[in-house]
Amino acid sequence: MEIALIGNPNTGKTSLFNNLTGSYEYVGNWSGVTVEKKVGVFKNNIGRLIDLPGVYTLNPLSRDEGVVTSFFLNDSVDRLLNILDASQLERNLHLTMQLLEFEKPLLIGLNMIDVASQRGIMIDAKKLSEKLGVPVVPVVARSGKGCDQLVDTISTKSFTPVKKNLVNYGVEVEKAIADLSQELAGKTEHSKRFLAIQYFEGNEYVKNYVTQIVDGEKLQAISAKLEESIKKSYEVKTLPNFIYMKRKAAIETIIAETTSRRDGVVPLSEKIDSIVTNKYLGMPIFLLLMYLMFMLTFDWLGTPMSDALDGLLTGPVASGIENALTAVHASAFIHALIIEGLVAGVGGVLVFVPQIFILFFFISLLEDSGYMARVALVMDRIMESVGLNGKAFIPMMIGFGCNVPGIMAARTIETPRERLLTILLTPLMSCSARLPVYALFVGAFFAAHKAFIVLSLYVLGIVVALILAKLFSSTMLKSQTSLFVIELPPYRLPQFQSLWRSTWDKGKGFVRKAGTFIFAGSVFIWILSYAGPGGLKVEMDDSFLAAIGGVIAPILAPIGFGTWQAAASLITGFLAKEAIISTMNIIYFVPSDSSLQGLLANYYTPLAAYSFMVFILLYIPCLATTATIYKETGSKKWTAFAIGYALVIAYVLSLIIYQGGKLFGLV
Amino acid sequence: MFTSLKAGEKGKIVDISHVGNLVKRRLLDLGITEGSEICVKCVMPFGGPIMIESCGQCVGIRRKEAVQIEVERI
Repeated sequence: MEIALIGNPNTGKTSLFNNLTGSYEYVGNWSGVTVEKKVGVFKNNIGRLIDLPGVYTLNPLSRDEGVVTSFFLNDSVDRLLNILDASQLERNLHLTMQLLEFEKPLLIGLNMIDVASQRGIMIDAKKLSEKLGVPVVPVVARSGKGCDQLVDTISTKSFTPVKKNLVNYGVEVEKAIADLSQELAGKTEHSKRFLAIQYFEGNEYVKNYVTQIVDGEKLQAISAKLEESIKKSYEVKTLPNFIYMKRKAAIETIIAETTSRRDGVVPLSEKIDSIVTNKYLGMPIFLLLMYLMFMLTFDWLGTPMSDALDGLLTGPVASGIENALTAVHASAFIHALIIEGLVAGVGGVLVFVPQIFILFFFISLLEDSGYMARVALVMDRIMESVGLNGKAFIPMMIGFGCNVPGIMAARTIETPRERLLTILLTPLMSCSARLPVYALFVGAFFAAHKAFIVLSLYVLGIVVALILAKLFSSTMLKSQTSLFVIELPPYRLPQFQSLWRSTWDKGKGFVRKAGTFIFAGSVFIWILSYAGPGGLKVEMDDSFLAAIGGVIAPILAPIGFGTWQAAASLITGFLAKEAIISTMNIIYFVPSDSSLQGLLANYYTPLAAYSFMVFILLYIPCLATTATIYKETGSKKWTAFAIGYALVIAYVLSLIIYQGGKLFGLV
Repeated sequence: MFTSLKAGEKGKIVDISHVGNLVKRRLLDLGITEGSEICVKCVMPFGGPIMIESCGQCVGIRRKEAVQIEVERI
């Protein structure tokens, strides 16, 4: 049995999905967290649950909404589980009405009854169920309350809607629906009434679907005739509007009969909003929060923890492994491979786990609390001036964690041009994998101003993205259409458990990558550094790795780090940005008594180190990000462009910083 | 005109037809259309977006679109 979860954005579908399937998918308190369909299996094995992106209607405007409509038209599903936000019942029922027209078994989960009752809205679930003709189960998805009953209802009751045609669209429309249904008769397994109404509403996906099976001109004629007669008889501007008003009237009747209102309390949200989206304070508060986040990650909390972990790994763990290797009489090759390759390479990356988890914790906090959408609002003015909109800031913020979900999040941006622009620019956001490089270099060269230097890199990434957005949008991606309407969800006090889960979910990718990709990469890099044209166990400078790096090194000389070591680590950085650190740890392998940080001072000046960090920030999207860009744009040209412009801009900026800095007498 | 309302003031939408199609559709999705009561929550500086509240939900829209919405003060 296949059951699809469907509902308005930010109504808690994914929270419920996680609760029912026991899996963990990405949740947050803003519209558009889920941009793809996700499949899970019910805990009690009654079937598969499909999580879909949130939509207001089945007539899509953006790409993530299109996912839902195509799913309805092209995939088979047995039952629909419609999640309603009880505090926004009227808006939510517009979708329910369309789902009922789809004539598939439907069950309603009435979520956020706690929020609704705080606002003084009481809903009689039983009566609502009678009116709609389908079962209605009240739930609180965040806490899991009511989920058992929901599962029970799903697995025991049949819930084919008992009532048909809840909305009467009036004589003219009903007649046209009948005409159009006749054209479609026998040619589709979908509800013809549903297809007809969606067609009249101007649903492009449905239009494409029906014109594939029947003559489009005939349908067009029916629709045009209907629109004309509607305009003549009623005072409406368009046919879709007329359909909307009819639906609205039916919903209002249902609401009047099922809900009662009393005075609720002024939501806390409004009090918080009066501060964080304050005219003058909004932007400073955002910057202050960012600053706190960086101080905690790089200075107050993260660095001491990473140092402690480093001490543990290079001290007891490394010597423990060394003793073990000696005890089993491992060959010199194995010994060197494990100590100089794996421990140095993988350990060098694992050291940064605490800092990365702290960063992810803050990103989760931003997402869960409801602040994310406010940031989009506060940033819209700036984004608009460079040809983007405030919503583009959300993918960028997520990009701070990892560019891949950031690029996916761009799907919620309605206009294709702005979406493409956001996809192209999100890789400039400094992701968590770049963080170890900064942490290493600021520790070695800028110990007194760690957080400040790192913050400067993050800000540089944003500034470069904004300048390029302006450049691209006024040259090759010209267009006037821009759309910015954003829902600002009520604030929610994040629960510790869900925060931890979402932090862990993001962070475990980093740990897993260290155990697989970086592990394999470290072995490979070490072998390249161990072997050379002259045979095995050569001096590092005569190794294959040095030869490869040496080819590129001269190009990097003008920007301050023309060594084969830097070049070799930059090449591996394309696979994954953390690989830069493992490569460096292997190349500069030193016995535990002196650290990599100390050693780096022999190879870089502080100015060259900053230039290097800037280059790492911008130079290329990693392999996974490149693949995502290709998947999301569907264009080799734009993917190549994303790589190409990044290389150029990174080189130019590093050149300016290094040569400019030298001019001013910096070293 | 929308912008005649100050933060905290309430109004009713009289005419929304001058707004671009996409924005109009999106507002309609959120249940905001002619006849809806709205309250201006805050106005961002430098011609930035405004935040309005309607039926208990908050929505941010751009100033230039807000200007095109005809509102009657209540």
